[in-house]
Amino acid sequence: MNQRAFLKIIQFYRLKLNMAGLLKKVVFALSIGAGVGILFQAIALVIPFYYVGICTIIILILSLLSAFVLAFIKRNNMEQTALVMDSFGFAERIVTAYGNLEKEGKLIELQRADAMKQLQIYRDKIRIVMWPSWKCLASCIGLLTVMTFLALMPSAMKERAQELHKIREEARNKTEEIEEILETLENLSQEQDLTLEQQAALQEMTENLQASQDEFQQVSTVEMMKAASQKLEYKYENAEEGLKALAQSLQNGANVSSITTESIQALSEKLQEMREMKLAQENSGQSGSPSKDGENGQSGNQNGQNKQSGNNDENGQSGNQNGQNGQSGEDGANSSNGQGDKGDGSGTGRGTGSSNTPHDYVSIPNDIADSENLTGNAVDHDASDYFHAQNGLSWEGTHMSYEAVIGSYEQNAYEGIAAGKYPSGMEEIIKEYFSNFNE
Amino acid sequence: MGELGNSGLQDPAYMAQRIAACEQEIQKGIIGQREIIRQVMIAMLTGGNVLLEGMPGLGKTRLVSTIGSVFDLSFKRIQFTPDLMPSDVTGTNIIIKNERGSAFSFERGPIFANLILADEINRATPKTQSALLEAMQEHTVTVGNDSHALAEPFFVLATQNSIENEGTYPLPEAQLDRFMFKILVRFPSKEELKGIVTLTEGNQKPVIAKQMDSVGLLAARALVNQIPIAEAVMDYLLEVVMQTHETNPYIKEGASPRAAQALIRAARAKAFLEKRFNVSFQDVKEIAFPVLRHRILLSFDAISEGISEEDVIQKILERIGK
Repeated sequence: MNQRAFLKIIQFYRLKLNMAGLLKKVVFALSIGAGVGILFQAIALVIPFYYVGICTIIILILSLLSAFVLAFIKRNNMEQTALVMDSFGFAERIVTAYGNLEKEGKLIELQRADAMKQLQIYRDKIRIVMWPSWKCLASCIGLLTVMTFLALMPSAMKERAQELHKIREEARNKTEEIEEILETLENLSQEQDLTLEQQAALQEMTENLQASQDEFQQVSTVEMMKAASQKLEYKYENAEEGLKALAQSLQNGANVSSITTESIQALSEKLQEMREMKLAQENSGQSGSPSKDGENGQSGNQNGQNKQSGNNDENGQSGNQNGQNGQSGEDGANSSNGQGDKGDGSGTGRGTGSSNTPHDYVSIPNDIADSENLTGNAVDHDASDYFHAQNGLSWEGTHMSYEAVIGSYEQNAYEGIAAGKYPSGMEEIIKEYFSNFNE
Repeated sequence: MGELGNSGLQDPAYMAQRIAACEQEIQKGIIGQREIIRQVMIAMLTGGNVLLEGMPGLGKTRLVSTIGSVFDLSFKRIQFTPDLMPSDVTGTNIIIKNERGSAFSFERGPIFANLILADEINRATPKTQSALLEAMQEHTVTVGNDSHALAEPFFVLATQNSIENEGTYPLPEAQLDRFMFKILVRFPSKEELKGIVTLTEGNQKPVIAKQMDSVGLLAARALVNQIPIAEAVMDYLLEVVMQTHETNPYIKEGASPRAAQALIRAARAKAFLEKRFNVSFQDVKEIAFPVLRHRILLSFDAISEGISEEDVIQKILERIGK
């Protein structure tokens, strides 16, 4: 055996050793990664953790990467390999020979020859174990299996996490959307051409939208999201109308720049577009899929109908839809009684519900059950048709404490019950509705 | 090796064979005690001195005389007693009268030999014990203003009774450090004892043949010093010594640098005796006990807990691993 062959043998075992080291580290790192993954999955069973899957994958990738990096850093050099080879009964002959390869001398040459001879004879004694022990492998596979099982196992908390994520995502989009509108409104309100009243109207719009923005930042349930969205939509509608009116008045005015008017019109159109888009989305969603848990069920008969039926499933959201959803006008025209675009009644709800949603306004209907303007058949329990109107005690969207109006509503309601003007099945619902306020 | 021929003195393989033959020849005269013979051989190959501790009558004198015969070396035995004076060991200047008058002349003591058996060295006073210091380390003896070189190879094999015995003077640390090995001579097994009795009490005495001379021994020493040591083995060896200085509740004082030197030389010699030309971890492990046991000072904790030097060394070796 010459020096070249001697070095080649060491090189061969070095490669084997490094591969074995890599395999061991990979198995160990995967075990650690799977352990952490199991921990993540367990946490995801207790608290909403939407990114648990991604985190688990990242942990596994990181553990694998660290195994590779560690294996590279701790790779054996030739001398270390020679030492390992010596541990198979070569009594440090190989490492001594390797360390003195460049040196000369009778004893050194003798030693080198002895090492090479021994290596040639007993090479088959060197057995590098490539794979980790079966215990390590089994525990790694076991941990990975448990982790996969937990990852695939459906759970209510995982669904909740997905729901929460979706809500947050939507809320963020809404917040950004509002932010954009708020910026435009702020720019408009700084226009010198506007009168104080017009500026006040813009300021009111701004405050209303800011309130919605805050609300979106706090939503944590589908119900809250839905309530907040509906309120926002309503505010958009109001803002759109307000802006249209403002634009109209500005066009009639003498000292108003065309740029301001155009900006207002553009914003108004934008709001309209947004509302229409939203409506289109809702319509497509409603017709395409069956209702879920009854939440969307009532939307099927929302075209010009009272939303009180929302009580059935929506946990006190009753009335928070304010009886609008854009069906004013065109939708109203489709109603059975064929009324025009402006009905008399308005939505009957108020913005509280039973959830924790902060409500910043109440919808103020003018005509209640005892009003002759309301149509519908009270005898056969048919729902009343109601229409959006702006002739109530206060303007819709106006900030007003419900205490200021609830008294008169309640009084009217009880008078209506006494007069037998409501469908019999609804009387208890109305009583319960108002009694909830008093609790 | 004079008459045996000097042609192979530079041949490591041949010299290793000759040394192995010497060891076998010594084993003819000494029954059992193979480990002791091996360690004494290692000491001879490295020029170290040996301290044998054990009961009297275990064949220590016989071992030294056998070695003397095998290597054709001059042999002197000094019985250390409390009244032994340093000059009794080293020699002294005496007045010689001749035709021209009288003059001082150095009369060599028994230390002037290749092999010295300092029997029961711990029975002599420290003053006399220290008379050996210079001889053991420098291989010279200074009397008055004159230094006298000792014959090479020079090898002291001292014996001592266990320090529990009364009337003994424990060797000072400085002198202990000059002994390469401290070998514990244990009582032979029944089989070995039978062999000893048969050998010594029988009619036929074993014939010990000369296998090598002082020139050959010195040549073998030179070869041993050239045996390469791998970096990893050297690190391991030094780590063993360093560990005796690490915080250890059982060690009061660790081994000196001389211990590291002794370890290197002894490990090389051991490998040579095994016809190997490299030092292994196992060589260091085996040699660590006789090299370190007299160089470690145990703490009070160790003594009170009955921990021996062997236990401490064993722990150190286990801690380092390999």
